[in-house]
Amino acid sequence: MKLSARLRLTATCAATVLVVTACGAGGSDEQNAASGSWSVPQQDPTATLNVVGILDPKADGMDTVVAAFEKEHPTIKVNYQQVPFDNLNSVLDSRITSKTGDPDVFWADQPRVPALAKRGYLQDLTAQFSGLTSGLQEATVKNSSYEGKLWSLPIANSTQVLFYNKDLLAKAGVQGPSMDPNQRITWQQLKTDAQTVQQKGGASTGLLFGQPNRYYQLEPLPVSAGGGIGAAGEGNLAPAVNNDGWVRAMTYYGSLYADKVSPRGIAAEQIDSTFLAGNTAYLVEGNWMVGKLADSKLNWGAALDPVWEGGKPATPNGSWSVGMNPFSKNKDAAAVFMKWLAIDGESGYAKYRSYAELPANAAGLKSYLGSKAFTGSEGGKQAAEVVNYETQNTPVGRVPTVGYIEFEDIIGRAFSDIANGVDPKTALDSAQNQLSTAWQQYK
Amino acid sequence: MLFLAPALLAIGLLRIVPFAGAAWSTLYKRVGIGLLAEQRFAGLSNYITLLRDPLFRGTLIRTVVFNLILNPVQIALAMGVAVLMTRVIPLRGLWRTAVFIPCTIPLVGSSIAWGIALRGDGPINGILQALGFGPQPFFTSPHQALASIMLVASWVGIGYWMLFLIGGLNDVNGELYEAAGIDGAKTWRIFWHITLPMMKRPLLFVLVADTVANFVLFIPVQLLTNGGPQESTTLLMFDAYRRTYNYSQPNLGATSTLILTLIMLVIVAIQFRLLNDED
Amino acid sequence: MTEATVPNSSVSRVPRVGRQHPQKILLTVLLTVLAVLVAVAFILPGVWMLLGSLRPGNEVIESVSPLGWHTLFPTSWTLDNYNALFGELRFGRSMLNSLLVAFASVVLGLAISVPAAYAVSVLRFPGREAVFTVLVVGFMIPFEAIAIPLAQVFTDWHLNNSYLGLILPGIGNGLAIFNLRQSFRGVPRSLREAAFIDGASELRIMTEIYVPLSVTTLINSALLIFLAQWSSYLWPLLMISDEQRQVAPIAIARTYTDTGVNFGQMFGGTLLISVVPALLLLVGQRFFARSIATSGER
Repeated sequence: MKLSARLRLTATCAATVLVVTACGAGGSDEQNAASGSWSVPQQDPTATLNVVGILDPKADGMDTVVAAFEKEHPTIKVNYQQVPFDNLNSVLDSRITSKTGDPDVFWADQPRVPALAKRGYLQDLTAQFSGLTSGLQEATVKNSSYEGKLWSLPIANSTQVLFYNKDLLAKAGVQGPSMDPNQRITWQQLKTDAQTVQQKGGASTGLLFGQPNRYYQLEPLPVSAGGGIGAAGEGNLAPAVNNDGWVRAMTYYGSLYADKVSPRGIAAEQIDSTFLAGNTAYLVEGNWMVGKLADSKLNWGAALDPVWEGGKPATPNGSWSVGMNPFSKNKDAAAVFMKWLAIDGESGYAKYRSYAELPANAAGLKSYLGSKAFTGSEGGKQAAEVVNYETQNTPVGRVPTVGYIEFEDIIGRAFSDIANGVDPKTALDSAQNQLSTAWQQYK
Repeated sequence: MLFLAPALLAIGLLRIVPFAGAAWSTLYKRVGIGLLAEQRFAGLSNYITLLRDPLFRGTLIRTVVFNLILNPVQIALAMGVAVLMTRVIPLRGLWRTAVFIPCTIPLVGSSIAWGIALRGDGPINGILQALGFGPQPFFTSPHQALASIMLVASWVGIGYWMLFLIGGLNDVNGELYEAAGIDGAKTWRIFWHITLPMMKRPLLFVLVADTVANFVLFIPVQLLTNGGPQESTTLLMFDAYRRTYNYSQPNLGATSTLILTLIMLVIVAIQFRLLNDED
Repeated sequence: MTEATVPNSSVSRVPRVGRQHPQKILLTVLLTVLAVLVAVAFILPGVWMLLGSLRPGNEVIESVSPLGWHTLFPTSWTLDNYNALFGELRFGRSMLNSLLVAFASVVLGLAISVPAAYAVSVLRFPGREAVFTVLVVGFMIPFEAIAIPLAQVFTDWHLNNSYLGLILPGIGNGLAIFNLRQSFRGVPRSLREAAFIDGASELRIMTEIYVPLSVTTLINSALLIFLAQWSSYLWPLLMISDEQRQVAPIAIARTYTDTGVNFGQMFGGTLLISVVPALLLLVGQRFFARSIATSGER
């Protein structure tokens, strides 16, 4: 999962405001597709699909993808529309709840799948698709499911890599972190090394996180420290963010800022550029950074993600899936499109976007790691190894709960306060209380 | 009357009626979620829930204080700039445009630019350090974050209000100064006793419009601080938004918005009382 | 605008030319310097954004720290960002859409605001203040509170994906009416009474007396309506799914993805959006002269 929220301008959640004014909701009950039978058809139907996604048709190549699909499936036409990713949810709410069946297919953020499913915004895909997902990475299928049912098909994945500035480390006489899974660098050692590079290597910043103060980025800390993913119990509706593991992890995180290893107040979208400026020793960022580094003049290296001393390794994962509108009038055609996009071959989505993103498709992953950014430098080859290893061995999904958006928001604010100097136990206790209140409505 | 009908229709149908709907919804509680939810009548329980919440009460007080400080300051500064820009100086129109430009820049862009400018290692701190002061935490400190938001809002708003005040200043009949016989009188006295009273009408407009603008201020909070640090920049509009979209509690969000609007109405009514000139 | 300290009257006064001149010049210089400083303070961030749009995407943030000339001035200049905006990112079309919607809103908006303002400020009828209150309360309603229900209604009426759907909510601007009302109140009643005696209708009085005397306010109200529509984001987002009709503030989203932001492009797009209102103001400066000419009653 990548950048979000910072540029969020309107809704980020399945808004139920529409239900409040349900008197205006168009659609009649005959369009209620509760049990309309559909399948992945042997022969292509003739249909026009409306698809809503977050990628630009030209700049991000979705036009190429659509053209390739229409060439292979000439009877199905696709109308693709881009919506800014931080507004996707409000647009979807507005359109799905109108029950007109537009859009037929839409992008769904994997951690939001439980919330979308529970609200009735996703068509259940279990019967038709559960036997077809063997070519997809297991963790992404898990992210796209909830309560034993498959609700969406993953098209992308993500993982994190520990990048470092070779020149700065060399100047400080610090050895690069290890690529050997048995000798992963620990978070604690990383902090010490970063401080050394600051003192002796001239780095103004020791360690940067790709998305500071975000649950996606920081989840590995408490998980690796033994504190769990943040919630437990039935449906993961009992918050668990102030146990020992979490407090220890967050004390560490706060100390990074207090000891000036990490700078306060840099927004997520500025982090990459800050690292590329060349004054930062280490950066924990997603696989998409590899392309930016390949284009830069930095002398960089990559290594396995840090682990908590004495704990088990954990890495963030997850990205986008595609879901089907339960009110769609073209479910068969939608199924064809979704299958082509995610499952067929190396995934139409990955292939026709020239492997711009880490695919959820296992075969696509291989091609992704074979692209120039990964093969063109030593750092790139290291990164490829890391991505391959971490996606298969250490991913930890985000907490699957109906109340995910509240969780992300509340814990994000707690992280932010901790980074700005608030006592971790106090901040986490407050988050625990706020979560309990916010999740009341789901019990 | 025909003169009024189109405007009344436009505002009535496109603002008042939907708002009445939203106001009505504050008397309901939502049970269940998503497409399966239903609305149940709950009387004033939403209001009680909010007013019982210490976080909400804090937000309420914070918002009122924010406005009580910011509005007069912005208007005073705008007035100062307006007076400056109506003196006889070369290239006056150019300076005016320069001051006005910030409000033409989309607020998202401005917020992002200021977020970068007020970074711990950013240009503003760079200048402060060059002048011998220590670096300031700005958005990362609960004591400075709200003031920093005020700074951004003022940078955007002052040029806008300056424009309306210039219009008002130009309308003050120059001959009045002569008639008042002010040979050698102090500029300040003239300003206070002649100019300001004549500016009552544009001042009322600017004050009311500024009040509304500051009460519904939202984008800088969302982009720069997300309500923090430690809730110090959580204002009512942001609280309403967060309840509706992040906490899936649209009825409570609507209640928060209604309370916000009521407070605004009261303050504006007071402003009208003070500055409205009789027919 | 005359300097307030020096009256023009020449009644029994020996003009002390020798003493006035240097004093006046010094004052003018001081005021000019002050004005320049104020102008620079306001425009510096804008200049930074402008220069940022002329450098490669990454450099904007990379050059922020440590503070130096390179923070403001690009080390490498490029027009790539603008090329991308008008080419790949189809920004030109979005700007045209914005212009169309904003101008149409201004024309229609003024057409209904001026009579309404006239009615609540000049005409007398029972319930006048109540009507005015309704108009004013209208603009105090935060748009976010009503956006989604309103969008639902418009979609039901098939106004989505249409220019009309974008224009309509912008024409009833209570603030513009309020502004005009304040200005109309300042017009001497005697003018209206004199016109009545000459047999003029309300419409003629409004268009031939009040409007010409309120040119500045009209321009300000036009600017109000224009800016409100020009910068609206939530409404077009909900209304428009057809890219051909989408407006500029939403098109800016094409400069960022969920994994990266091209600040150079984003600043470029942002400034393109701000250029139009800024130009409108620069051009409209000439109308900011005194709007109450010597009254026709003397």
